[in-house]
Amino acid sequence: MKQFVEGAFSIENLTLFYGNKLALNDINIDIHNKQVTALIGPSGCGKSTFLRTLNRMNDLIPNCKVDGSIYYGEENIYSQESDVIDLRRRIGMVFQKPNPFPMSIYENVAYGLKCQGIKDKNILQAAVKKALVDAALYEEVKDRLKESALSLSGGQQQRLCIARAIAMSPDVILMDEPTSALDPIATAKIEELITELKKDYTIIIVTHNMQQALRISDYTAFFLMGEIIEYGKTSELFSHPKNPKTEDYITGRFG
Amino acid sequence: MIAEAKKLQFRSTSKGKITDKIAKIIFMSATILSASFIFVIAGIVLVRGVIPFTTDNLGVGRVSLFSFLTGDIWLIGETFASNLYSIGFIIISTLFITLLSLAISFPVGVLTALFIAKIAPKPLAKVLRTVIETLASIPSIVFGLFGAGVILKLVYDFSALIGYQSKGGNSILSVVIVLALMTIPTITTISEVAIRSVDKSIEQGSLALGASKTQTNFKVILSSAKSGIFTAAILGIGRSLGEATAVSLVAGGRRAGISFDLLDTTSTLTTIMLEGLKETTGIDYDIRFSVGLVLMVVILLTNLLLNSIKRRVGVVNVKE
Repeated sequence: MKQFVEGAFSIENLTLFYGNKLALNDINIDIHNKQVTALIGPSGCGKSTFLRTLNRMNDLIPNCKVDGSIYYGEENIYSQESDVIDLRRRIGMVFQKPNPFPMSIYENVAYGLKCQGIKDKNILQAAVKKALVDAALYEEVKDRLKESALSLSGGQQQRLCIARAIAMSPDVILMDEPTSALDPIATAKIEELITELKKDYTIIIVTHNMQQALRISDYTAFFLMGEIIEYGKTSELFSHPKNPKTEDYITGRFG
Repeated sequence: MIAEAKKLQFRSTSKGKITDKIAKIIFMSATILSASFIFVIAGIVLVRGVIPFTTDNLGVGRVSLFSFLTGDIWLIGETFASNLYSIGFIIISTLFITLLSLAISFPVGVLTALFIAKIAPKPLAKVLRTVIETLASIPSIVFGLFGAGVILKLVYDFSALIGYQSKGGNSILSVVIVLALMTIPTITTISEVAIRSVDKSIEQGSLALGASKTQTNFKVILSSAKSGIFTAAILGIGRSLGEATAVSLVAGGRRAGISFDLLDTTSTLTTIMLEGLKETTGIDYDIRFSVGLVLMVVILLTNLLLNSIKRRVGVVNVKE
């Protein structure tokens, strides 16, 4: 009997096709609650595709077929009854390139809540402030909440996108190479933030940066050609990889 | 041998330079020619347009600029007195009509653009895009004939239905409908391009936050494309203000007194320039240039106003 945990994923026989192209092949892993799980692997290996199955963002791609099941808590998110809008409210996402809306800083963070139908100004203001504080951005922007989000630096924009996601009080935050467009200092800030956030959220992060995976994650999954080659505790996977392909990749012999 | 080759090379480069120079001169003269037309046209309109105010118009009398701009009677014909040429009421009805037609064409155009760019399946979107582009290229006289043949009848029947005797359907309402039909394709095409060029990542960001497609379309996509949509509105207004042929077929031609009654006849700055054009001398002719001058100023001012608004809405607006 399987144990269901809120905020954790259990993926069974997940297969995904783009048209005729097999992008994910029989994925079976459990993702742990309130841990950081890093997804690593060379470009085109399916790690971002996998991440996007978790909040069903692949639904937006025509000709994308998904087989198998993903249990989020005890709900199969690919079943007929599953409500994708509700799912995405519970599972936040941060993208590769910071993508703030062309609105004010305040409006960016309040956006998701407003879409949910929350109109009370006091609730919104409190939620926006809390999200900005949690995303370690509040001190930098508290005097200019009404200014355009596009006036922020790249690193600040990315933290704003994290604030926007956590304003919805999700259980999970998916991050798709969140620091690949940022400079080292901004990257360090985001990494620090991720370590802070994992106290409250399950974090799944796609990264190209092996050092980053090693620094911030508790678990690591290594993807190759749409399959998971190895999955386990980060410390073990990096120090004693079981599969020679994993070793080749993490030691930089290919990819 | 080598010397010869060098010579050849030298010759070919110098020849290249000469061709470049000639090409440059040709391009420049083409540019000067096309650019100078604006000065020639504006100059002629200006020179002829001031004649009614500076001469006694071959005995008819000098037109007073003030009464020309503010009066509410327009009786063309050389036998009439010079103080009967005034377009104050026509300026106002022109702006009124443009605004009303925009009130129809803007929402319809933008929603159509949103549908084509974001909602319609790709093959349908392709067909619709072609339809809209074809519609945009239909000559205005065809819109005018359609207006005269179909819309006038509809408006006439409608006014009869509510117990109003309209003048064959010639009315503000007919003009507004014809202009809306003519500007919808313009607004749709340009808005659609603006909507399509909104960064996909912004759309995904909204959907990932649990916003529905409709919420995403209205709250994020339209507001991201607002600068381009505004440009669409500006061009739509320009087309409405400048349209003469189609409008004059359904306006009815109002001679005096301002009316905001939708079923009443009307005149616009363009229709009065076109109407009753006979001689090419004298006040009856020259005064049309004065109207043209006013129209150019109106269009210029409208564009300046709209562009300043556009700059302001381009900046992020905050709703508290």
